[in-house]
Amino acid sequence: MPIRIDFWGIPWEWAHLLIYVTVIGAGVVMLVRFYLQARLWWKAGQVKLCWDRPLLRLWRVIQYAGIQTRVLEQKYPGVMHIAIAGSFFIFFLGTAFAVLNTRIYEPIFKDVFLKGGIYLFYEVVLDLFVPVFLLGFALAGYRRWVVKPKRLTLEPKFTWMLLLLLAIVVTGTLVEAYRLALQKPEWAPWSPVGYLISLLLPSGSAAEAGLYQVYYFLYGFHPLLVVVAFILLPSTPLLHIFTTPINIFFSDPARPVGQLAAIPADKEGIPIYSRTLCNLTWSQLLNGDACTECGRCQEACPAYAAGQPLNPKQVILGVRNVLHRDGPALDCSQPDKVHELVGETGLTEEVLWSCTSCGACVAECPVLIEHIGTIVDLRRYLVSEGRLDAMAQDALNNLGRYGNSFGQSERARAKWAQAFEPKIKDARKEPVEYLWFVGDYASYNPALTDITAKTAEVFQQAGVDFGILYEGERNAGNDVRRVGEEGLFEMLVEKNSMAFAKSEFKAIVTTDPHSYNTLKNEYPADAVGGRPVLHYAELLDQLIASGKLRLTKKLGYKVTYHDPCYLGRYNNVYDAPRRVIQATGCEIVEMPRCRKHALCCGAGGGRIWMEEGEMKERPSESRIKEAVALEGVQVFVVACPKDTTMYRDAVKTTGHEDRLVVKDLIELVYEAL
Amino acid sequence: MKIVVPVQLVPDLVEELVVDKSGKALDLDTVRWIISEPDDHAIEQAILMKEKSGGEVIILAPDFEGVDDVLFAAAAKGADRLVKITGDFESGLNAHALARALQPLVKDMNPDLVLTGVQTHNGLDGPIGALLAEYLQMPYIGYVSGVSVQGNKALISKDYPGGLKAEMEVSLPAVLGVSSAESAPRYVPISKIRMVMKTSKVEEQDAGDLDLSGAAVVTRMSPPESAERATMITGKVDDVAAKIVAIIQEQGLL
Repeated sequence: MPIRIDFWGIPWEWAHLLIYVTVIGAGVVMLVRFYLQARLWWKAGQVKLCWDRPLLRLWRVIQYAGIQTRVLEQKYPGVMHIAIAGSFFIFFLGTAFAVLNTRIYEPIFKDVFLKGGIYLFYEVVLDLFVPVFLLGFALAGYRRWVVKPKRLTLEPKFTWMLLLLLAIVVTGTLVEAYRLALQKPEWAPWSPVGYLISLLLPSGSAAEAGLYQVYYFLYGFHPLLVVVAFILLPSTPLLHIFTTPINIFFSDPARPVGQLAAIPADKEGIPIYSRTLCNLTWSQLLNGDACTECGRCQEACPAYAAGQPLNPKQVILGVRNVLHRDGPALDCSQPDKVHELVGETGLTEEVLWSCTSCGACVAECPVLIEHIGTIVDLRRYLVSEGRLDAMAQDALNNLGRYGNSFGQSERARAKWAQAFEPKIKDARKEPVEYLWFVGDYASYNPALTDITAKTAEVFQQAGVDFGILYEGERNAGNDVRRVGEEGLFEMLVEKNSMAFAKSEFKAIVTTDPHSYNTLKNEYPADAVGGRPVLHYAELLDQLIASGKLRLTKKLGYKVTYHDPCYLGRYNNVYDAPRRVIQATGCEIVEMPRCRKHALCCGAGGGRIWMEEGEMKERPSESRIKEAVALEGVQVFVVACPKDTTMYRDAVKTTGHEDRLVVKDLIELVYEAL
Repeated sequence: MKIVVPVQLVPDLVEELVVDKSGKALDLDTVRWIISEPDDHAIEQAILMKEKSGGEVIILAPDFEGVDDVLFAAAAKGADRLVKITGDFESGLNAHALARALQPLVKDMNPDLVLTGVQTHNGLDGPIGALLAEYLQMPYIGYVSGVSVQGNKALISKDYPGGLKAEMEVSLPAVLGVSSAESAPRYVPISKIRMVMKTSKVEEQDAGDLDLSGAAVVTRMSPPESAERATMITGKVDDVAAKIVAIIQEQGLL
């Protein structure tokens, strides 16, 4: 009967012992080294362990670290990684079963379980994962040494790591091949890879002594490589095997991506700004060690693509590098002696202010790193020090004084509605079903008020009972919060909440995805009172579906649709606007970067208020070029007031005025009435 | 080093200005008050000097609606004392009257330097700094864009029209009319202002009876009346340029 014989052909007990002792010893060294590194997270960072919903957290670990759903979103690197990780997982299991078999099962039950059919299955599975690994290795090698995509960190440490893995697999397979050549069991073909290699080895009793020599050597060399790998692991990129599941487990499963964490405060309620490592949370520091440097965030970042200083990957690695440099000798009880984080490589002020908070990095990251949380925390520190550019200062001053970034009187907020007939209800004075939160751009930007008026007309035509807050409305604060002005955000929330409290309404609707996001995800529960917050795309979709809004014309345009970051990526509203477009009788042609992968227009996160800075190509222009490349597309449909201004400009600056028109979703609906 | 900064609130031009029934003044019910911009620079300059070489910064402001916000914002930037000047300002205030009211208060404070904005957009009777200097018997320099103190003297950089700059020395104490601080007024986060509101206190000092004499008398006030409408020149770029040249020549400017 087929049976696994432990240490076949190695008669010396001391050798068995030596292998066990060194491998276990190396494992202990690995864990101690890992601990020494992990210790820095809570030595420096603010410790707050979150264990709530442990099963959900565990499921997320299985999903993202086990099944690796995010990794697999990208075909080539996905297959590459799952091949390597999966095969090593199987090899690890195989080794563990072998040890279990003879060191635990056998002493207890006086029998082994790796025998007969089970053993053959064990052998064939382990063997088949050798070519799987080799495929992964080949894909990785080709990518790293030939293709060399810009997003990868092309450093020798990755090459050594790959070669070490290859050496472990090759020596392991050769050990098997030599064993099969010498043992010659009749079930040898059940180890197909090892068997095929064994056929290449010299046979006959004359060669046997030589084979034994090589076999002994390999039998020592293979575990030696494993020992080396174990010892080095915490200082190689393989560290991510430990750190990514921990990172995923402790990432917040309940907080929506559109909800920033509040500024931590000390016992007296004084806010803790992220000046140094000591002010970050331990999980922000863990983010750095969990980063696999895959560069997907870099590739997706609109600021990086525009040639701006920001690279989200370098932000995370910047924090990591400071942690590794300063962490061991860090003394947080003497904060004056700890280096300021802003200004370190990857973390300069220019870098931090380049972020549009579009969320592409966070959405891409296979291991759930939260780049934007750290960027905003560092911005909060800069704002607390008054370190921000003059235009942003002006905008914040205006928002503080007038409640809008335009620096206009709040009394002018509903100027667009003055001449409107029938008069738009004042939600503070009479009950309405829908409170329309108009937002700054739709209210004040003279180029957009026409669209705002059309929105009102469409609502009226559909019989929507709605009202606005007139001068009682303030900027919702989404971008104020992302600039890092938390105090001003809180003030705006208070003022809007007071206006909400005065009004009677059943739901909030807004055309502005930024307002939508913060109202939906960040406003205190008592302000919105559990009432639904709708984007107008969602409301229009409902009105069309229920027959309240009848569209009579089929427009017949060929259009493309731009997913606003705060509607799509942040809140997963992808289909409602598309259904509305289809209802107007337009054909949608998708841009290559659509839905979750949509490119940001460049205006978010307060960028629209700041100096633009040096750019190779504005994200909005890159986006228009992407749309123009689509055959026959005449209309670029947007569902965000800021998008209208950004893309109308970009159409002009790229000289595509005769080729493409930017239209708000409502303009299509209005036309199709 | 003790720096006193008297500041003023002026009508915020973001709001529409309404002339009252008398036809001689703004309708104060519709006015929203904001710190005069050069005064904001005077505060910034004082704070910059304090940060550089220490000292005490005292802010004085007449009691208009919103004055507390102005004072607390200054405190959040680093001002040490906040003084609200109370009095009957509704019936009219001018630079002469305010300077006279400020004189005893400032004198009691015994300052080394008085920094004030070089002008206000609603001022009709000259800068308050010059008047205050006269009443305090101190030297005055206006249009100041930089100050550095050495002993009992200050080195001033002063702006002249046409981009000229001068450096001059003045012995202290002195009054300076600041047109722009060495760096733009800083942003103070709201959370800091809110914190300051809890911890700092606003002193009140009475202005006494105002002496309004010496200022210009307004006989009529009205919004700018539209003159002839502008003519839009349309056409090709070259034609438009040619027409513009012709008009300029007609006016004898070329």
